[in-house]
Amino acid sequence: MAEVSLKSHEQVSKHKRTRSHPFVYLLPHLAIFTIFFFIPLIFGIYIAFTKWDLVRTPVFVGLDNFKNILFSNSIFHDQLTSGLWHTILFVLISVPFCVLVPLSLAVMLNTKPKFAKFFQGLFYLPSLFSISAVVIVWSLIFNPNYGPLNTLFNWNQVWTGTQPWAWITIVVLTVWWTIGGNMIIYQAALNGIPQDYYEAADIDGASSWKKFVHITLPSIRGQLLFTIVTTTIAQFNIYGQPLMLTNGGPNGSTTVLMMNVQQNAFGSGQSLAGISSAMSVILGICIMIVSMVQLFLLRNKD
Amino acid sequence: MKKSHFWGVIVTSIAVSLGLTGWTSTAVHADDTKEIIFWNPFTGPDGTSMQSLVNQYNKTNPKYRVKNVSLTESDMYSKIPTIVNSKKGIPDLQIVHVERIKDYVNNGLLDSYNPYLKKFSGINKDNYVPEAWVNGAYQGKRYGVPLDIHTSFMYYNKKLVQKYAPHALDDNIVTFDEIKAAGKKSQKDDIAGMGLTWWKPLFLSLYGQMGGELTKNGKDPDLNNKTSRRVVNFYKDMHDKKITTQDGDDPMQLFLTGKQIFLPEGIWMNNQIKESDIDYGVTNAPQLSSDSKKIVNWSSSHQFVLLKQPKRDQARTEGTLAFVNWVRTHSIKWAESGQNPASLAITKDPKYLKMQQSFLLTNKVEQDSMTIFNYRYNGYLADYLDRYAYDAVFNKTSVSQYLKKMQNTVQDEVDAQMTN
Repeated sequence: MAEVSLKSHEQVSKHKRTRSHPFVYLLPHLAIFTIFFFIPLIFGIYIAFTKWDLVRTPVFVGLDNFKNILFSNSIFHDQLTSGLWHTILFVLISVPFCVLVPLSLAVMLNTKPKFAKFFQGLFYLPSLFSISAVVIVWSLIFNPNYGPLNTLFNWNQVWTGTQPWAWITIVVLTVWWTIGGNMIIYQAALNGIPQDYYEAADIDGASSWKKFVHITLPSIRGQLLFTIVTTTIAQFNIYGQPLMLTNGGPNGSTTVLMMNVQQNAFGSGQSLAGISSAMSVILGICIMIVSMVQLFLLRNKD
Repeated sequence: MKKSHFWGVIVTSIAVSLGLTGWTSTAVHADDTKEIIFWNPFTGPDGTSMQSLVNQYNKTNPKYRVKNVSLTESDMYSKIPTIVNSKKGIPDLQIVHVERIKDYVNNGLLDSYNPYLKKFSGINKDNYVPEAWVNGAYQGKRYGVPLDIHTSFMYYNKKLVQKYAPHALDDNIVTFDEIKAAGKKSQKDDIAGMGLTWWKPLFLSLYGQMGGELTKNGKDPDLNNKTSRRVVNFYKDMHDKKITTQDGDDPMQLFLTGKQIFLPEGIWMNNQIKESDIDYGVTNAPQLSSDSKKIVNWSSSHQFVLLKQPKRDQARTEGTLAFVNWVRTHSIKWAESGQNPASLAITKDPKYLKMQQSFLLTNKVEQDSMTIFNYRYNGYLADYLDRYAYDAVFNKTSVSQYLKKMQNTVQDEVDAQMTN
């Protein structure tokens, strides 16, 4: 009897320990998540309902900041509407390219051409650079006086100073910079597709395009959904590219919402952190809505 | 899981968590040591000069040594309010641009020097360039002691001046009319007359020359008026007639490659230009009139300030001022980086007198030409001018829209402040 009791006690304590183990493993992430994400998030939302200059104690003003940026004639309303529109425009133009270009490259690399590893490294390389380095390189390429683009083709184009070129330069740079991350995900997904499917399709005489549409795409649906959502979220947060390449110009036409958020909070004058936070909250809500719609549309109907 | 493995995970987790929260003892508080923590926005050649100035001071065996902490400008300005607010790790000495002082005082970010100045009689108005000294005070108290007064003046290509504007420099004042005449001649050879460089000094300098004021009541901006319209139209006209560089041009590169006659730029760019092969000289910024009493050279000043401490230590503050006072008589290193020190002691140094930028300090007329546009809400105006820069000049928007937006932006930002 005593033996049975001892055994069951051992089992219970082992069970308890097993249950506590996941939390131990989660602790580092949980601590980092709480300190650097969750607390700032809650604080940021609270700040949106205050007037704050980063120095004094924030003063609660209810919905005043939201009324100001959503419904008034103030410059902050203009900043929100134009900034949000420019951000959405960028997302609409860039996300398809940021998904399709890496997907095409991954499919090409999956055919195992010569020097596949070399090209894989080459395509991934830009992702390792900081945005500042990337912008410097592309600014030189687009330089109207000395840039290779104008010099080589004898053009006289002010790439970053006129539309639609300003947006095109930003999108080209962004796609080049972000190819690597999505490409690696697609490559891993493509490697996981059983060869049998393709062999069966070959026997049935399916063309490459049909194989791509009916085998490849459905097989990597999950990864596609994941990258579309994460790329959309990432592009909604666009900041460095227009800031450094076009400085939001010409005439503010590439000024995205994050630039206004940053300038209002950390510009040269007294901080308008409340207004800035309210803009961020609205941007956050937009990202949430778009992500939910994407997840709904691309959900696995099976 | 083995027991040792289990505890390993626990210890690692705690170490990582605490390390990332900055709990570890690496964050030594400035108050605990006999070392003055000195924050400044000097990087590149300026950073090197400031570091050697600090090293030189530390070799004198001062009671409080100085630790030079160089930060990028935007990073530094973002940190100042948060660090003062946190009341921990506040640097003992700080450099800020003079235009920030009024705003910082109103936001309770600065301590005044007044209680400590008696012991440092050398820190007085007679020993500094008046414009830099005057602007370091606010509401009857001293908050800033000037390190330098940095000016946006004009570089010129000697060969090209000889060819296109041989008499423009006779009086060391190059007028816009002279630039226009030279530019008309030079455009046939694909040489630009003048570079459109940093818009803020160009706009403000001409606005000052035309008698414009940034505010009438000290608070509300007055930026959409006849004078500001004249200024923007003036540059637009020069641009449209191709006297100046065009949209997308890189004026610095054009100047360095001998394709531009005049380059209005800051004295802080001198080191970069010096490294090129170009044979160049320096003079006043472009002027409307050749009357020397009317010269306006846009200027700013790096000032030593004391960020607000919850409990200010008398001995440490005196140690800090000892350094500030020492810099006053040892600023040749700072001049070597291309800057103009604000201390007049420098004007007696023969080494300094040989430097190109010295003409701005060595006579009263030039000293008076240096103008600091010290509008209390300068930050908001500067942000607008930097972001929208040449949009009206390059015909991307109308002049009236540009100025209307400038007025509305600054006014709405002033009104939205926590305190006015």
